[in-house]
Amino acid sequence: MNQGVYETVAQWIPEKSRVLDLGTGDGAFLERLIQGRRVVGEGVEKDAALVGRCVERGLVVHQGDIADGLDQYADGTFDFVLLLGTFQELLEPAEIIHEAFRVGRQIIVSYSNFAHYRVRLQLLFWGRTPLTRSLPAPWYRTRNLHFLSVADFETFCRDEAFEATRQAFFSGGHRIQYLPNLRAETAVCLLHSTGPAKR
Amino acid sequence: MGAEHVSILDGDLQDQQVAGYQSALGVTRTTTVTLPGIQTQSGFKFDTVDVNFLTLGKLSPARDNAILVCHGLSGNAHVAGSDPQTGRPGWWDLHVGPGKAIDTDKFYVIASNTLGGCSGTTGPGSINPRTGKPFGMTFPRVTIRDMVRVQAALLDHLGIEKLFAVVGASMGGMQALAWAVDWPARTRICIPIATCTAHSAMQIAFNEVGRRAITADPDWNGGEYSESCFPSHGLAVARMVGHVTYLSELAMTRKFGRRRQANATDGNQFSVESYLDHQGSSFVKRFDPNSYLYLTRALDEFDLFGNTAPTEVLRGMQVRFLVISFSSDWLYPPAQSRELVRQLKRAGIAVTYLNLETDYGHDSFLIENPPFAHVLGNFLNGGHAHKPNPAGAAVLGEGI
Repeated sequence: MNQGVYETVAQWIPEKSRVLDLGTGDGAFLERLIQGRRVVGEGVEKDAALVGRCVERGLVVHQGDIADGLDQYADGTFDFVLLLGTFQELLEPAEIIHEAFRVGRQIIVSYSNFAHYRVRLQLLFWGRTPLTRSLPAPWYRTRNLHFLSVADFETFCRDEAFEATRQAFFSGGHRIQYLPNLRAETAVCLLHSTGPAKR
Repeated sequence: MGAEHVSILDGDLQDQQVAGYQSALGVTRTTTVTLPGIQTQSGFKFDTVDVNFLTLGKLSPARDNAILVCHGLSGNAHVAGSDPQTGRPGWWDLHVGPGKAIDTDKFYVIASNTLGGCSGTTGPGSINPRTGKPFGMTFPRVTIRDMVRVQAALLDHLGIEKLFAVVGASMGGMQALAWAVDWPARTRICIPIATCTAHSAMQIAFNEVGRRAITADPDWNGGEYSESCFPSHGLAVARMVGHVTYLSELAMTRKFGRRRQANATDGNQFSVESYLDHQGSSFVKRFDPNSYLYLTRALDEFDLFGNTAPTEVLRGMQVRFLVISFSSDWLYPPAQSRELVRQLKRAGIAVTYLNLETDYGHDSFLIENPPFAHVLGNFLNGGHAHKPNPAGAAVLGEGI
């Protein structure tokens, strides 16, 4: 995933915070947070080989999927729950975010923007499922279950009673300031819960 | 090291000759020490307790590199190295030794035969000093916690105040858990493998079948048997049932299928029958039937949390955990380990958990198993033990 996203997330997390990294992969980013931001962190990862890499790094890690990982923790265990790069792969994203608010006060989530102009153009002119830097796998091999845009995510937050207090948008390594729904490939935002979902 | 010859399907290392396998430790010898007695949970007071044990590697000057390895139901103190009599490798020789997961170049490894066992530590086969006869069924009921109490007495004898780690699988895993709960100040890291906090009805049921096989053998004679009149059939059947539960359907299909044993005595035996027969008869030569009754009873009675809420029992605990289960283990299913992990995490304790994909059932911890060895070794050798930054440490105060 985008290096800029990691830089931004690292800046958003105050030193010595308690952090749960869902889908932590090989633990490289979590290790960086622990070393650079002195956070107290744990990871959840499904893939056994990647969990093995986390153990090599000396990280506390739980092998399981995201829902199983969240279920392990008591209410309010963490300051931050990270959901970086896997949001559009979740079968029930709203339920996962609500559960993440049970174990953590704030959530940092990143996702790929399906309304990026290249995506729009590919669909419009070629009539094919788009292939871009941030959507690199063909339709039959992608792990993405949901195709959402920046505008969709804003609606999602309103309906589920989450508030994005900080947001950052990226195209390649560059931060995007204007027209993110058209120009951003990746978005990352810091969510607070504002109450029960309006459903 | 002849790893390709070593397969779970051939049974424990101690019940077979593995062609070409040489322990890197050479010959290792257990010793027996007589320690001050303990009072069991059932209220029985032993005047003294004999403990058969083995140590490997060197204790550091700071006495902070000791790892206690707890054996399973049929194990003993001879954890690694070649047996001086039989030449057979110890039961965990694949994972304990120089450069192995539990590295004897770095750690001082202690293994002892459990209380109630039959390999040198006080058990039902020992002579009752008050009567001059073997205890037999007059041996007091012993629990997993009594076994751990005796292990603690051994550590006192060896001058070790705090363990770097306690590691155990199956029954040994229960002991590791009991260490963390009963002796948290003496335990830095706890590694329970393929175990649970309390047996389910199914686990109790399998043990009861084994016990009934022994007690229904007329030669058992209320526990008062002799070498000439020994309940070998009953014990063999108990072991056969046990072995079925330690394997998996896939493992058995691969190894045996419906093949027949060419040189079996009746000429037409299924390979799996011949295998179980071999496992049963090897076990009879080295295990005491009464011990089997007592140890399986201790397994069934074990209940780490009892009627107390796990958060109560675990409150303030500074022990770090590595919990490992195996996907194909149907005797100690991964769900039991996951529930343990949940209880630990919800009490704010730092736990690393892996459910390793293996095809070999409960016995997956005994075999050549590189992902398992990798995780175990990295956890013990790696930064984890030295990095005080799990969530639990933050919640509960300082780390180790």
